[in-house]
Amino acid sequence: MIAAGRQVRTTRAPRGVPPTPIVPVSMATSAMGGRLAVHLAAASEERRARHDAERVLSRINRWADRLSRHLDASELSALNADPRAVVTVGPTLGAALFAALDAGQESGGLVDIALLDARLAAEGLADPRSAGAAPRDWSIALGPRRTAVVHRSPGVRFDLGGVAKGWLADRGLDLLSAWPSAVIDADGDLAVRCAPGQLWAVALDDPRTDGAALAILHLSAPQIGQPVRWGVATSGTSVHRWRHGDRVHHHLIDPRTSAPAITDVLQATVVCGSGLRAEVLAKTAVIAGSVDGMALLERAGVQGAVILTERGETLALPQTLALLAA
Amino acid sequence: MAPRSVPDPTRMRPASPRPNPNRLRFALGTGGFAALSALLTAIAVPPSPASPSSPVAMPVAQDTVTQQRPIQYVQLAAGQAPPPGARVIDAKAPKPITIVTTVPAPAQQPVVVRTTQSGKVVP
Repeated sequence: MIAAGRQVRTTRAPRGVPPTPIVPVSMATSAMGGRLAVHLAAASEERRARHDAERVLSRINRWADRLSRHLDASELSALNADPRAVVTVGPTLGAALFAALDAGQESGGLVDIALLDARLAAEGLADPRSAGAAPRDWSIALGPRRTAVVHRSPGVRFDLGGVAKGWLADRGLDLLSAWPSAVIDADGDLAVRCAPGQLWAVALDDPRTDGAALAILHLSAPQIGQPVRWGVATSGTSVHRWRHGDRVHHHLIDPRTSAPAITDVLQATVVCGSGLRAEVLAKTAVIAGSVDGMALLERAGVQGAVILTERGETLALPQTLALLAA
Repeated sequence: MAPRSVPDPTRMRPASPRPNPNRLRFALGTGGFAALSALLTAIAVPPSPASPSSPVAMPVAQDTVTQQRPIQYVQLAAGQAPPPGARVIDAKAPKPITIVTTVPAPAQQPVVVRTTQSGKVVP
Protein backbone atom coordinates (compact mmCIF):
# COMPACT_ATOMS: atom_id res chain seq x y z
CA MET A 1 0.00 0.00 0.00
CA ILE A 2 1.43 3.37 -1.00
CA ALA A 3 0.56 6.43 0.97
CA ALA A 4 2.07 9.90 0.51
CA GLY A 5 4.97 8.53 -1.47
CA ARG A 6 6.05 6.24 1.33
CA GLN A 7 5.60 2.52 1.46
CA VAL A 8 3.53 1.39 4.39
CA ARG A 9 3.64 -2.27 5.25
CA THR A 10 0.47 -3.59 6.76
CA THR A 11 0.25 -6.68 8.87
CA ARG A 12 -2.74 -8.92 9.08
CA ALA A 13 -3.79 -10.47 12.34
CA PRO A 14 -3.37 -14.21 12.30
CA ARG A 15 -6.75 -15.83 12.21
CA GLY A 16 -7.86 -18.45 14.63
CA VAL A 17 -5.05 -17.91 17.11
CA PRO A 18 -6.60 -17.95 20.57
CA PRO A 19 -5.27 -15.45 23.11
CA THR A 20 -2.74 -16.79 25.57
CA PRO A 21 -3.98 -17.06 29.17
CA ILE A 22 -1.74 -15.12 31.52
CA VAL A 23 -0.02 -16.87 34.41
CA PRO A 24 0.85 -13.82 36.49
CA VAL A 25 3.47 -12.91 39.02
CA SER A 26 1.38 -11.76 41.99
CA MET A 27 2.10 -9.83 45.17
CA ALA A 28 -0.46 -8.94 47.84
CA THR A 29 -0.71 -7.09 51.12
CA SER A 30 -3.41 -5.78 53.45
CA ALA A 31 -4.78 -2.29 53.00
CA MET A 32 -8.04 -0.36 53.22
CA GLY A 33 -9.56 -3.00 55.48
CA GLY A 34 -9.05 -5.67 52.85
CA ARG A 35 -6.53 -6.97 50.37
CA LEU A 36 -4.39 -5.04 47.92
CA ALA A 37 -2.74 -7.06 45.15
CA VAL A 38 -0.77 -6.57 41.97
CA HIS A 39 -0.71 -9.16 39.16
CA LEU A 40 1.76 -8.83 36.29
CA ALA A 41 2.30 -10.87 33.12
CA ALA A 42 6.04 -11.06 33.61
CA ALA A 43 7.12 -14.14 31.63
CA SER A 44 10.87 -14.25 32.17
CA GLU A 45 11.15 -10.99 34.10
CA GLU A 46 9.92 -12.17 37.46
CA ARG A 47 12.53 -10.32 39.47
CA ARG A 48 11.76 -6.96 37.85
CA ALA A 49 8.04 -7.67 38.19
CA ARG A 50 8.32 -8.27 41.92
CA HIS A 51 10.36 -5.11 42.35
CA ASP A 52 7.82 -2.99 40.46
CA ALA A 53 4.85 -4.63 42.18
CA GLU A 54 6.35 -3.94 45.59
CA ARG A 55 6.99 -0.32 44.68
CA VAL A 56 3.41 0.19 43.48
CA LEU A 57 1.89 -1.57 46.50
CA SER A 58 3.86 0.74 48.76
CA ARG A 59 2.72 3.81 46.85
CA ILE A 60 -0.95 2.76 46.88
CA ASN A 61 -0.72 2.03 50.59
CA ARG A 62 0.54 5.56 51.26
CA TRP A 63 -2.35 7.01 49.27
CA ALA A 64 -4.82 4.71 51.03
CA ASP A 65 -3.55 5.84 54.43
CA ARG A 66 -4.51 9.41 53.55
CA LEU A 67 -8.00 8.43 52.41
CA SER A 68 -9.04 6.03 55.18
CA ARG A 69 -11.63 7.02 57.78
CA HIS A 70 -10.41 4.13 59.97
CA LEU A 71 -7.03 5.76 60.66
CA ASP A 72 -7.02 8.66 63.10
CA ALA A 73 -3.92 10.07 61.46
CA SER A 74 -5.34 10.07 57.93
CA GLU A 75 -6.02 13.29 56.09
CA LEU A 76 -9.67 12.26 55.69
CA SER A 77 -10.03 11.77 59.47
CA ALA A 78 -8.51 15.21 60.00
CA LEU A 79 -11.04 16.70 57.58
CA ASN A 80 -13.92 14.91 59.31
CA ALA A 81 -12.73 16.15 62.71
CA ASP A 82 -12.29 19.75 61.51
CA PRO A 83 -15.27 21.90 62.59
CA ARG A 84 -14.67 24.55 59.91
CA ALA A 85 -16.91 24.84 56.88
CA VAL A 86 -14.01 25.61 54.54
CA VAL A 87 -10.94 23.38 54.72
CA THR A 88 -7.90 23.10 52.46
CA VAL A 89 -6.83 19.53 51.72
CA GLY A 90 -3.81 17.97 50.03
CA PRO A 91 -3.56 16.82 46.41
CA THR A 92 -4.36 13.16 47.01
CA LEU A 93 -7.48 13.73 49.11
CA GLY A 94 -8.49 16.55 46.81
CA ALA A 95 -8.25 14.34 43.73
CA ALA A 96 -10.24 11.58 45.44
CA LEU A 97 -12.94 14.07 46.44
CA PHE A 98 -13.16 15.37 42.87
CA ALA A 99 -13.58 11.75 41.75
CA ALA A 100 -16.32 11.33 44.34
CA LEU A 101 -18.19 14.31 42.92
CA ASP A 102 -18.06 12.65 39.49
CA ALA A 103 -19.27 9.42 41.09
CA GLY A 104 -22.28 11.23 42.51
CA GLN A 105 -23.20 12.56 39.08
CA GLU A 106 -22.61 9.22 37.34
CA SER A 107 -24.90 7.47 39.82
CA GLY A 108 -27.66 10.05 39.76
CA GLY A 109 -26.89 10.84 43.39
CA LEU A 110 -27.12 7.26 44.67
CA VAL A 111 -23.40 7.12 45.47
CA ASP A 112 -22.91 9.78 48.14
CA ILE A 113 -19.74 9.94 50.22
CA ALA A 114 -21.26 12.36 52.74
CA LEU A 115 -23.17 9.60 54.53
CA LEU A 116 -20.66 8.64 57.20
CA ASP A 117 -23.10 9.19 60.07
CA ALA A 118 -25.73 7.00 58.41
CA ARG A 119 -23.11 4.31 57.83
CA LEU A 120 -22.05 4.46 61.50
CA ALA A 121 -25.71 4.23 62.49
CA ALA A 122 -26.08 1.10 60.37
CA GLU A 123 -23.14 -0.38 62.26
CA GLY A 124 -24.75 0.55 65.56
CA LEU A 125 -22.05 3.12 66.32
CA ALA A 126 -24.23 6.24 66.03
CA ASP A 127 -27.79 7.32 66.70
CA PRO A 128 -29.91 6.52 63.64
CA ARG A 129 -32.16 9.51 64.41
CA SER A 130 -29.29 11.91 63.79
CA ALA A 131 -28.28 10.28 60.52
CA GLY A 132 -29.63 12.14 57.54
CA ALA A 133 -31.15 14.95 59.56
CA ALA A 134 -28.52 17.53 58.63
CA PRO A 135 -27.91 18.86 55.09
CA ARG A 136 -25.12 17.12 53.20
CA ASP A 137 -24.15 19.89 50.79
CA TRP A 138 -20.50 20.15 49.87
CA SER A 139 -18.31 21.23 47.01
CA ILE A 140 -14.64 21.35 46.16
CA ALA A 141 -12.44 23.72 44.17
CA LEU A 142 -8.81 23.78 43.16
CA GLY A 143 -6.57 25.62 45.60
CA PRO A 144 -3.02 26.93 45.38
CA ARG A 145 -0.05 24.58 44.90
CA ARG A 146 -2.07 21.48 43.88
CA THR A 147 -4.25 21.68 46.99
CA ALA A 148 -8.03 21.71 46.97
CA VAL A 149 -10.53 23.64 49.07
CA VAL A 150 -13.59 21.85 50.49
CA HIS A 151 -16.74 23.85 51.24
CA ARG A 152 -19.40 22.01 53.22
CA SER A 153 -22.44 22.41 55.40
CA PRO A 154 -21.76 22.19 59.12
CA GLY A 155 -21.37 18.61 60.30
CA VAL A 156 -20.76 17.00 56.90
CA ARG A 157 -18.36 14.07 57.27
CA PHE A 158 -17.07 11.84 54.51
CA ASP A 159 -16.60 8.12 53.93
CA LEU A 160 -14.84 7.51 50.62
CA GLY A 161 -15.27 3.73 50.89
CA GLY A 162 -15.42 1.97 47.53
CA VAL A 163 -14.92 5.21 45.62
CA ALA A 164 -11.39 5.39 47.04
CA LYS A 165 -10.72 1.75 46.16
CA GLY A 166 -11.79 2.10 42.54
CA TRP A 167 -9.85 5.34 42.25
CA LEU A 168 -6.72 3.75 43.79
CA ALA A 169 -6.94 0.78 41.44
CA ASP A 170 -6.95 3.08 38.42
CA ARG A 171 -4.11 5.22 39.79
CA GLY A 172 -2.07 2.12 40.62
CA LEU A 173 -2.44 0.75 37.10
CA ASP A 174 -1.24 4.08 35.74
CA LEU A 175 1.98 3.56 37.71
CA LEU A 176 2.54 0.25 35.92
CA SER A 177 2.61 1.67 32.40
CA ALA A 178 5.78 -0.32 31.65
CA TRP A 179 3.76 -3.53 31.94
CA PRO A 180 1.32 -4.09 29.05
CA SER A 181 -0.56 -6.76 31.01
CA ALA A 182 -1.23 -5.85 34.63
CA VAL A 183 -4.00 -5.93 37.23
CA ILE A 184 -4.45 -3.88 40.39
CA ASP A 185 -6.84 -5.50 42.87
CA ALA A 186 -7.97 -2.90 45.42
CA ASP A 187 -10.06 -5.05 47.77
CA GLY A 188 -12.09 -6.55 44.94
CA ASP A 189 -12.18 -3.50 42.63
CA LEU A 190 -9.97 -4.27 39.65
CA ALA A 191 -8.16 -2.12 37.11
CA VAL A 192 -7.10 -4.43 34.27
CA ARG A 193 -4.83 -3.94 31.28
CA CYS A 194 -4.19 -6.68 28.71
CA ALA A 195 -1.57 -6.80 25.97
CA PRO A 196 -2.51 -7.88 22.42
CA GLY A 197 -2.94 -11.61 22.12
CA GLN A 198 -3.15 -12.22 25.86
CA LEU A 199 -6.03 -13.05 28.18
CA TRP A 200 -6.86 -12.40 31.81
CA ALA A 201 -9.24 -14.83 33.50
CA VAL A 202 -11.20 -13.02 36.21
CA ALA A 203 -13.45 -14.91 38.61
CA LEU A 204 -16.66 -13.31 39.87
CA ASP A 205 -16.94 -14.33 43.49
CA ASP A 206 -20.05 -16.26 44.50
CA PRO A 207 -20.98 -14.85 47.92
CA ARG A 208 -23.03 -17.94 48.79
CA THR A 209 -20.14 -20.41 48.69
CA ASP A 210 -16.58 -19.78 49.82
CA GLY A 211 -14.13 -20.09 46.96
CA ALA A 212 -16.79 -20.62 44.30
CA ALA A 213 -17.15 -18.49 41.20
CA LEU A 214 -20.45 -17.14 39.94
CA ALA A 215 -18.89 -16.73 36.51
CA ILE A 216 -15.45 -16.41 34.95
CA LEU A 217 -14.69 -13.52 32.64
CA HIS A 218 -12.16 -13.78 29.84
CA LEU A 219 -10.78 -10.33 29.16
CA SER A 220 -8.56 -10.44 26.09
CA ALA A 221 -7.08 -7.96 23.66
CA PRO A 222 -6.98 -8.47 19.87
CA GLN A 223 -3.81 -9.96 18.41
CA ILE A 224 -2.91 -6.68 16.72
CA GLY A 225 -3.26 -3.26 18.28
CA GLN A 226 -2.87 -1.50 21.57
CA PRO A 227 -3.35 -2.96 25.05
CA VAL A 228 -6.95 -2.83 26.25
CA ARG A 229 -8.01 -1.51 29.64
CA TRP A 230 -11.03 -2.42 31.78
CA GLY A 231 -12.43 -1.83 35.23
CA VAL A 232 -14.18 -4.69 37.01
CA ALA A 233 -15.85 -4.12 40.38
CA THR A 234 -18.27 -5.91 42.66
CA SER A 235 -20.56 -4.46 45.30
CA GLY A 236 -23.09 -6.14 47.53
CA THR A 237 -24.84 -6.49 50.83
CA SER A 238 -23.72 -9.89 52.03
CA VAL A 239 -20.30 -9.16 53.58
CA HIS A 240 -20.71 -6.09 55.79
CA ARG A 241 -23.84 -6.93 57.80
CA TRP A 242 -24.81 -6.17 61.38
CA ARG A 243 -27.69 -7.49 63.43
CA HIS A 244 -29.55 -5.08 65.73
CA GLY A 245 -32.25 -6.99 67.58
CA ASP A 246 -34.28 -8.75 64.93
CA ARG A 247 -33.13 -6.45 62.13
CA VAL A 248 -30.11 -6.95 59.88
CA HIS A 249 -28.39 -3.89 58.46
CA HIS A 250 -25.81 -3.70 55.67
CA HIS A 251 -23.34 -1.01 54.71
CA LEU A 252 -24.78 0.35 51.45
CA ILE A 253 -26.69 3.49 52.43
CA ASP A 254 -29.49 4.81 50.24
CA PRO A 255 -29.10 8.62 50.26
CA ARG A 256 -32.86 8.99 49.72
CA THR A 257 -33.56 7.48 53.12
CA SER A 258 -30.18 7.74 54.88
CA ALA A 259 -30.66 4.10 55.84
CA PRO A 260 -29.39 0.79 54.45
CA ALA A 261 -30.84 0.33 50.98
CA ILE A 262 -33.91 -1.86 50.69
CA THR A 263 -32.94 -3.91 47.67
CA ASP A 264 -33.37 -7.33 46.11
CA VAL A 265 -29.77 -7.33 44.84
CA LEU A 266 -27.33 -9.41 46.84
CA GLN A 267 -24.36 -8.61 44.63
CA ALA A 268 -23.63 -6.75 41.40
CA THR A 269 -20.54 -6.90 39.20
CA VAL A 270 -19.86 -4.40 36.42
CA VAL A 271 -17.28 -4.44 33.61
CA CYS A 272 -16.52 -1.10 31.98
CA GLY A 273 -13.63 1.20 31.17
CA SER A 274 -12.27 2.06 34.63
CA GLY A 275 -12.17 0.64 38.13
CA LEU A 276 -13.78 3.72 39.66
CA ARG A 277 -16.68 3.76 37.20
CA ALA A 278 -17.22 0.03 37.63
CA GLU A 279 -17.33 0.44 41.42
CA VAL A 280 -19.76 3.36 41.23
CA LEU A 281 -22.10 1.61 38.81
CA ALA A 282 -22.03 -1.68 40.73
CA LYS A 283 -22.93 0.09 43.97
CA THR A 284 -25.63 2.10 42.21
CA ALA A 285 -27.18 -1.09 40.82
CA VAL A 286 -27.31 -2.65 44.29
CA ILE A 287 -28.98 0.40 45.83
CA ALA A 288 -31.41 0.81 42.92
CA GLY A 289 -32.55 -2.83 42.91
CA SER A 290 -32.45 -5.40 40.12
CA VAL A 291 -35.01 -3.87 37.75
CA ASP A 292 -33.91 -0.24 37.90
CA GLY A 293 -30.29 -1.34 38.31
CA MET A 294 -30.22 -3.34 35.09
CA ALA A 295 -31.90 -0.47 33.24
CA LEU A 296 -29.36 2.07 34.42
CA LEU A 297 -26.45 -0.25 33.63
CA GLU A 298 -27.74 -0.67 30.10
CA ARG A 299 -28.14 3.08 29.69
CA ALA A 300 -24.61 3.55 31.04
CA GLY A 301 -23.28 1.41 28.18
CA VAL A 302 -21.26 -0.97 30.34
CA GLN A 303 -19.42 -3.85 28.71
CA GLY A 304 -20.83 -6.40 31.10
CA ALA A 305 -22.96 -6.76 34.22
CA VAL A 306 -23.93 -9.72 36.38
CA ILE A 307 -26.42 -9.38 39.22
CA LEU A 308 -27.19 -12.00 41.86
CA THR A 309 -30.54 -11.42 43.54
CA GLU A 310 -31.79 -12.38 46.98
CA ARG A 311 -34.02 -14.90 45.19
CA GLY A 312 -30.96 -16.70 43.85
CA GLU A 313 -31.39 -15.49 40.27
CA THR A 314 -28.31 -14.65 38.23
CA LEU A 315 -29.09 -11.86 35.78
CA ALA A 316 -26.79 -10.53 33.08
CA LEU A 317 -26.88 -7.99 30.31
CA PRO A 318 -26.62 -9.77 26.95
CA GLN A 319 -23.23 -8.30 26.06
CA THR A 320 -21.79 -10.01 29.13
CA LEU A 321 -22.06 -13.41 27.47
CA ALA A 322 -19.29 -12.48 25.03
CA LEU A 323 -16.95 -12.07 28.02
CA LEU A 324 -17.83 -15.26 29.82
CA ALA A 325 -15.58 -18.28 29.69
CA ALA A 326 -17.08 -21.22 27.86
CA MET B 1 -55.37 6.42 -57.21
CA ALA B 2 -59.08 5.86 -57.47
CA PRO B 3 -61.16 8.99 -57.76
CA ARG B 4 -63.08 9.75 -54.63
CA SER B 5 -66.75 10.02 -55.44
CA VAL B 6 -68.81 12.85 -54.21
CA PRO B 7 -71.47 11.64 -51.82
CA ASP B 8 -74.91 11.70 -53.07
CA PRO B 9 -76.92 13.89 -50.75
CA THR B 10 -80.04 12.06 -51.60
CA ARG B 11 -78.63 8.81 -50.17
CA MET B 12 -77.62 10.30 -46.78
CA ARG B 13 -79.60 9.35 -43.68
CA PRO B 14 -81.50 12.09 -41.96
CA ALA B 15 -79.61 13.66 -39.06
CA SER B 16 -80.76 12.41 -35.64
CA PRO B 17 -81.71 15.01 -33.06
CA ARG B 18 -78.67 15.93 -30.79
CA PRO B 19 -79.02 16.19 -26.97
CA ASN B 20 -78.90 19.58 -25.41
CA PRO B 21 -75.26 19.98 -24.11
CA ASN B 22 -76.08 22.69 -21.64
CA ARG B 23 -77.37 20.25 -19.01
CA LEU B 24 -74.09 18.28 -19.01
CA ARG B 25 -72.05 21.48 -19.01
CA PHE B 26 -73.99 22.70 -15.99
CA ALA B 27 -73.49 19.41 -14.14
CA LEU B 28 -69.75 19.29 -14.86
CA GLY B 29 -69.33 22.93 -13.93
CA THR B 30 -71.17 22.52 -10.66
CA GLY B 31 -69.20 19.40 -9.72
CA GLY B 32 -65.87 21.00 -10.63
CA PHE B 33 -66.68 24.06 -8.59
CA ALA B 34 -67.56 21.92 -5.60
CA ALA B 35 -64.32 19.89 -5.89
CA LEU B 36 -62.22 23.03 -6.26
CA SER B 37 -63.94 24.59 -3.27
CA ALA B 38 -63.26 21.54 -1.11
CA LEU B 39 -59.63 21.45 -2.21
CA LEU B 40 -59.09 25.12 -1.42
CA THR B 41 -60.74 24.71 1.97
CA ALA B 42 -58.43 21.79 2.83
CA ILE B 43 -55.34 23.77 1.82
CA ALA B 44 -56.27 27.02 3.48
CA VAL B 45 -57.66 25.56 6.71
CA PRO B 46 -55.75 22.37 7.74
CA PRO B 47 -57.36 20.28 10.45
CA SER B 48 -56.12 21.33 13.89
CA PRO B 49 -54.39 18.57 15.97
CA ALA B 50 -56.25 17.33 18.94
CA SER B 51 -54.93 18.79 22.15
CA PRO B 52 -54.22 16.35 24.99
CA SER B 53 -56.88 17.94 27.12
CA SER B 54 -59.71 17.56 24.56
CA PRO B 55 -61.37 14.34 23.49
CA VAL B 56 -60.95 13.33 19.88
CA ALA B 57 -64.20 13.21 17.92
CA MET B 58 -64.45 10.80 15.06
CA PRO B 59 -65.45 12.34 11.74
CA VAL B 60 -69.18 12.27 11.38
CA ALA B 61 -70.56 10.43 8.39
CA GLN B 62 -74.16 10.17 7.48
CA ASP B 63 -76.07 7.33 9.04
CA THR B 64 -73.42 7.01 11.82
CA VAL B 65 -73.34 8.16 15.41
CA THR B 66 -70.67 10.36 16.95
CA GLN B 67 -67.90 8.40 18.72
CA GLN B 68 -65.72 9.61 21.58
CA ARG B 69 -62.28 7.93 21.61
CA PRO B 70 -60.83 8.16 25.11
CA ILE B 71 -57.18 9.19 25.35
CA GLN B 72 -55.33 6.51 27.29
CA TYR B 73 -51.67 7.55 27.07
CA VAL B 74 -50.33 11.07 26.80
CA GLN B 75 -47.00 12.81 27.00
CA LEU B 76 -47.26 16.23 28.53
CA ALA B 77 -45.35 19.41 27.91
CA ALA B 78 -44.56 21.67 30.82
CA GLY B 79 -47.70 23.10 32.34
CA GLN B 80 -50.12 20.72 30.66
CA ALA B 81 -52.60 18.64 32.58
CA PRO B 82 -53.67 15.15 31.52
CA PRO B 83 -57.29 14.46 30.58
CA PRO B 84 -59.29 12.47 33.10
CA GLY B 85 -58.40 8.81 33.09
CA ALA B 86 -55.32 9.19 30.89
CA ARG B 87 -52.05 7.65 31.87
CA VAL B 88 -49.10 10.00 31.60
CA ILE B 89 -46.01 8.53 29.90
CA ASP B 90 -42.60 9.90 30.78
CA ALA B 91 -40.49 9.98 27.63
CA LYS B 92 -37.34 9.72 29.75
CA ALA B 93 -38.50 6.67 31.65
CA PRO B 94 -36.39 3.54 31.18
CA LYS B 95 -37.53 1.37 28.36
CA PRO B 96 -37.84 -2.40 28.58
CA ILE B 97 -34.49 -4.10 28.26
CA THR B 98 -33.31 -7.57 27.50
CA ILE B 99 -31.82 -9.45 30.42
CA VAL B 100 -30.19 -12.82 30.21
CA THR B 101 -31.41 -14.88 33.11
CA THR B 102 -29.48 -18.05 32.37
CA VAL B 103 -25.81 -17.46 32.93
CA PRO B 104 -23.84 -20.59 32.20
CA ALA B 105 -22.20 -21.98 35.30
CA PRO B 106 -18.44 -21.89 34.90
CA ALA B 107 -16.16 -24.82 35.36
CA GLN B 108 -14.83 -24.29 38.87
CA GLN B 109 -11.14 -23.82 38.27
CA PRO B 110 -8.48 -21.95 40.20
CA VAL B 111 -8.36 -18.35 38.99
CA VAL B 112 -5.82 -15.97 40.48
CA VAL B 113 -7.61 -12.70 39.76
CA ARG B 114 -10.92 -12.35 41.55
CA THR B 115 -13.46 -9.56 41.94
CA THR B 116 -15.31 -9.60 45.25
CA GLN B 117 -17.33 -7.42 47.53
CA SER B 118 -15.13 -5.22 49.69
CA GLY B 119 -13.89 -6.89 52.85
CA LYS B 120 -14.40 -10.39 51.47
CA VAL B 121 -11.65 -12.71 52.62
CA VAL B 122 -10.38 -14.69 49.65
CA PRO B 123 -9.26 -18.20 50.56
